[in-house]
Amino acid sequence: MTDDVEISSAPAEAPPRYRASGDVGLVTPRDFTYRNEFRFQSGQILPEFTLRYETYGALNATRDNAILICHALSGDHHCAGWHSPDDRKPGWWNNLIGPGKAVDTRRFYVICANVLGGCQGSTGPLSINPQTGRPYGILFPFVTIPDMVRAQKHLLEHLGVSELHGVIGGSMGGMQALQLAIEYPRFVRRVLAMATTGRESAQAIAFNEVGRQAIMQDPAWNRGDYARESGPRVGLAIARMMAHITYVSDASMDRKFGRRKKENANTSAYTFDVQFEVEGYLRHQGQSFINRFDANSYLYITRALDQFDLTQAYGSIERAFAGVESETLVVGFTSDWLFPPEQNRDLALALLRAGKRASYAELDTDLGHDSFLLESEDLYGLVRGFLEREQPYEFDYSI
Amino acid sequence: MNRTVEKRTVDMEIIGGWVEPNTRVLDLGCGKGTLLDFLVQTKKVSGVGVDLDFAKISACIRRGLPAYQGDMIAFMRAFPEKHFDRVICSRTVQELSDPTGVILEALRVGRALTVGFVNHGFWKNRINMLVRGRKIRNAVYTTEWFESRPANPVTIADFEHFCALKGIRIARRAHLAGNWHDPCPGLPNLLAGYALYDLAR
Repeated sequence: MTDDVEISSAPAEAPPRYRASGDVGLVTPRDFTYRNEFRFQSGQILPEFTLRYETYGALNATRDNAILICHALSGDHHCAGWHSPDDRKPGWWNNLIGPGKAVDTRRFYVICANVLGGCQGSTGPLSINPQTGRPYGILFPFVTIPDMVRAQKHLLEHLGVSELHGVIGGSMGGMQALQLAIEYPRFVRRVLAMATTGRESAQAIAFNEVGRQAIMQDPAWNRGDYARESGPRVGLAIARMMAHITYVSDASMDRKFGRRKKENANTSAYTFDVQFEVEGYLRHQGQSFINRFDANSYLYITRALDQFDLTQAYGSIERAFAGVESETLVVGFTSDWLFPPEQNRDLALALLRAGKRASYAELDTDLGHDSFLLESEDLYGLVRGFLEREQPYEFDYSI
Repeated sequence: MNRTVEKRTVDMEIIGGWVEPNTRVLDLGCGKGTLLDFLVQTKKVSGVGVDLDFAKISACIRRGLPAYQGDMIAFMRAFPEKHFDRVICSRTVQELSDPTGVILEALRVGRALTVGFVNHGFWKNRINMLVRGRKIRNAVYTTEWFESRPANPVTIADFEHFCALKGIRIARRAHLAGNWHDPCPGLPNLLAGYALYDLAR
């Protein structure tokens, strides 16, 4: 996910953005600690773990109006609202989630947690290893998408959710949504997976590997052993710059930057200083990322993505979906070249072959993989329509 | 409560009569899902619709119908033989760029194929062309030619010729008069405004 969700500045007399109608407003993250042993898919064990999460809206009496939002590789639990009135930006999916929005918090109890292995408050490589008194680093257990999902299931049980009205996610979030429906079929009524895949492709693994190599080849990585405020900042920034390119598209980059030069750039073409706006932009992306993300978490989570392969895990994709009881909507985006429409279509087709209720819709956008974060009435209408079934249409039987 | 009421049409009714209850149905060119919803409500079918248009798919999803946005031949190729009990191609066949390909593929993935179309051989349609010299307009052909997808002016005689040529068995047929309501008295290629076929391999 890119960091450049643009927020138009409100006129001076308007109420503060966090109090705008349709906004969940100020929110406070909370921590849930599961105080039992947690066994990872790898067999490795943590004595307990913590997930940082946010909720919006209220759980109903029957405790079945909850919607779980699953975040992507570099996302976190803060998907809507504002942490403080001074925040520069709201949560990453604020355009989709809120009172009266496509995911309507007047109607639904929305939950989003930072994944296990993450670095935004959930237990991950930055957490302190009780055996050494120092951050786990690469002694942290290997994390998989099923591990992330199982950890979140403990949180949902803690919150008293009896059944999920839906689970929504884009990219890695889509993988979690599918995995949740596979592992807990009776717990999930609707799955909305966008810009995702059932099997990380060679190209996607390749991009992840370049990112990991950038981190691991940085001497400051030190085999994962570094202090919180130091670490492989150069490597992580390069990994982010490269990954960022895969989240957008040729057309969207050209529209945003073209070949425009930086204003204060050296007028000589014969220099390696920043010349083009796109270079400055990517450097900024890299720099802002290192201030909020941990390099080891990046290694772990990209590895979890690489390992995701429903076909291999269950023998076949149809067998993976055999037990699914939820209804699924898969959404692809034409310009997504990281998880292209074809891979999204294949998910819906496999579900249908397995005899499940599944739909596929495709949005024609040129924003690339990050299109799932798009401000689009078409997308909002689709999401709302899927979550809030209209009354059955009536037929006039008089012929 | 804001209710949406839709008119049941005679061709829907006939298709409904041919569909077995609780079967698996594929609707090619499902539009906003009117026919499929009718079959779900009256025959408890488990259905899926295919359409190219995002707005139509979105409308199907809004009413709770599984729907797939994309090419219908590519869709069908993803399924094993006889996966569907019935494939329906209602008011769609005239717009297909590869009708033979779609129909043969539909007969592979479906045990039966139902086709419904406007008969261009109907005498009024002939006169319309002969006298007015203009493209026909009706509930299926709602737009001017320049706002329409390319469409084949298929007739009943043409369609039956196609079935004979490809060795496709016509299990049932229904011909409706020019009002698309009453049964056609005879000479269907001349007197029927609308035709329905139930095909099998």
